[in-house]
Amino acid sequence: MDSVCVEYKLQTLDAGAQNLLKAALKDPRAVDLEKVATAIVDLSLKDSSFCKEAGRICYALIQEEAKDANSTVFRRNLLTRLQQEFTVRKETRKRSVSQWVCLVNFICTIFDYLKVNNQPMAALVQPVYDCLFRLVQPDALTNEEEVDCLAMQLHRIGEQLERAEAGRMDELFYALRDGFLLQERLSSMARLLLLEVLEFRAGGWKLSDTAQQYYYSEVAN
Amino acid sequence: MSSNSQKRRQITGGDLRKNAPSPSHYGRKRGSDGQLRSQGDPQPSLGAKGEHRHTDNRSESFTTPETVRPLSRCKDWGSEVEESEMRMSVNRDMQRYRRRILTAEFSSRERKVSSGSCDSRDSASPTELETDENVLLRRQKQINYGKNTLAYDRYIKEVPKHLRQSGVHPRTPNKFRKYSRRSWDQQIKMWKVKLHTWDPPAQDGDLQAIEQIDLGEVMDIELDPDGETCKTSAGDEMDCFSVTPRKMKKTEELPQV
Repeated sequence: MDSVCVEYKLQTLDAGAQNLLKAALKDPRAVDLEKVATAIVDLSLKDSSFCKEAGRICYALIQEEAKDANSTVFRRNLLTRLQQEFTVRKETRKRSVSQWVCLVNFICTIFDYLKVNNQPMAALVQPVYDCLFRLVQPDALTNEEEVDCLAMQLHRIGEQLERAEAGRMDELFYALRDGFLLQERLSSMARLLLLEVLEFRAGGWKLSDTAQQYYYSEVAN
Repeated sequence: MSSNSQKRRQITGGDLRKNAPSPSHYGRKRGSDGQLRSQGDPQPSLGAKGEHRHTDNRSESFTTPETVRPLSRCKDWGSEVEESEMRMSVNRDMQRYRRRILTAEFSSRERKVSSGSCDSRDSASPTELETDENVLLRRQKQINYGKNTLAYDRYIKEVPKHLRQSGVHPRTPNKFRKYSRRSWDQQIKMWKVKLHTWDPPAQDGDLQAIEQIDLGEVMDIELDPDGETCKTSAGDEMDCFSVTPRKMKKTEELPQV
């Protein structure tokens, strides 16, 4: 099963978690899927670099389960757990901004990875928007960590979100522009991130060549 | 009558009835975090008296007993996703079924004879089909519960479709036909009772009970929707089982009551 470890980068996890996930990936029916879902969510909230792997693991588990048993127990447990975390996001943010950022990252990862009939899950559209709207509030804009998160999510799933519901994306960007123009004590990094995102969306969710050069090339001085 | 006009009813998952009428009325009664939003807008038709209604618009005296289910509009994400997945698959089924009917009609017209082997279920013209999505969903869920049993698994393995005899072998009710609620529920009931014939032998009574309960609670989405709507016998890879010994087999396999 070392190939599984390598494929999903499980080595960074503690032994208990590793074994649980390996067993689950091998045969979803052999494990307590609620435990697995909880473990995955908890791990993702602690370590944002695990999010991407977590997304892939969830995807793999759901495929396995659907194929073998034609059931959706894991997905249901995952979404329930996620919804619980989402419900207490205010408290989470108060307790730890980093954890809050991880939560947003994970929800958006799930939105990105887990499709239903090739469409994003409709149930997650509003929650994701809610998270992004929170990130665009004045007190969040002054945190580079949160601005960075906002920018990353918009790059990853902005287009899909807009397709799912354009109106709210428009609103989000009104707030984003306001933040960019009017927010005091915005770090220059934050300003850069916001400006880039504005151009990114304006370009139809891709950056023009010149903008790409401006933001991402080394400037030879 | 209870004092529901004074108390604001706490909405909990188990309390509410599924909203049957007007699927178009899709207001967001809850924010995505499950908190009720203030219900400023007047509810259509029934809510005019100002008493607090269930959010699905029915007064307390509404008596049709339905299985108590979580409110269909304001669910947990797991249920929402499953429901939307089911909706898509039901819609796909419908397209397929419509095509199948039209093909059957067309070919029967060509032959200018009423096709003798015409499945009575297929003789409904497209205008007589059940198209209400909520009804179809409900029916599909009921069918899923029945198909999600060991008995059904054993049944389809044992009796390939082309060997099924009407009257003898249970047949999945056709969700696209127009039936009254009572008639449909009765068909489902009878179908499930008939399926019990294929229950696995009860070696250990507890074991069987546990397995069946477990499967019953899982709301499976059919990845391979109703075979009867689209499978041709060419697609069946099931072996032929001989017909004669079946009665004897069935007797053996009946659970010891």
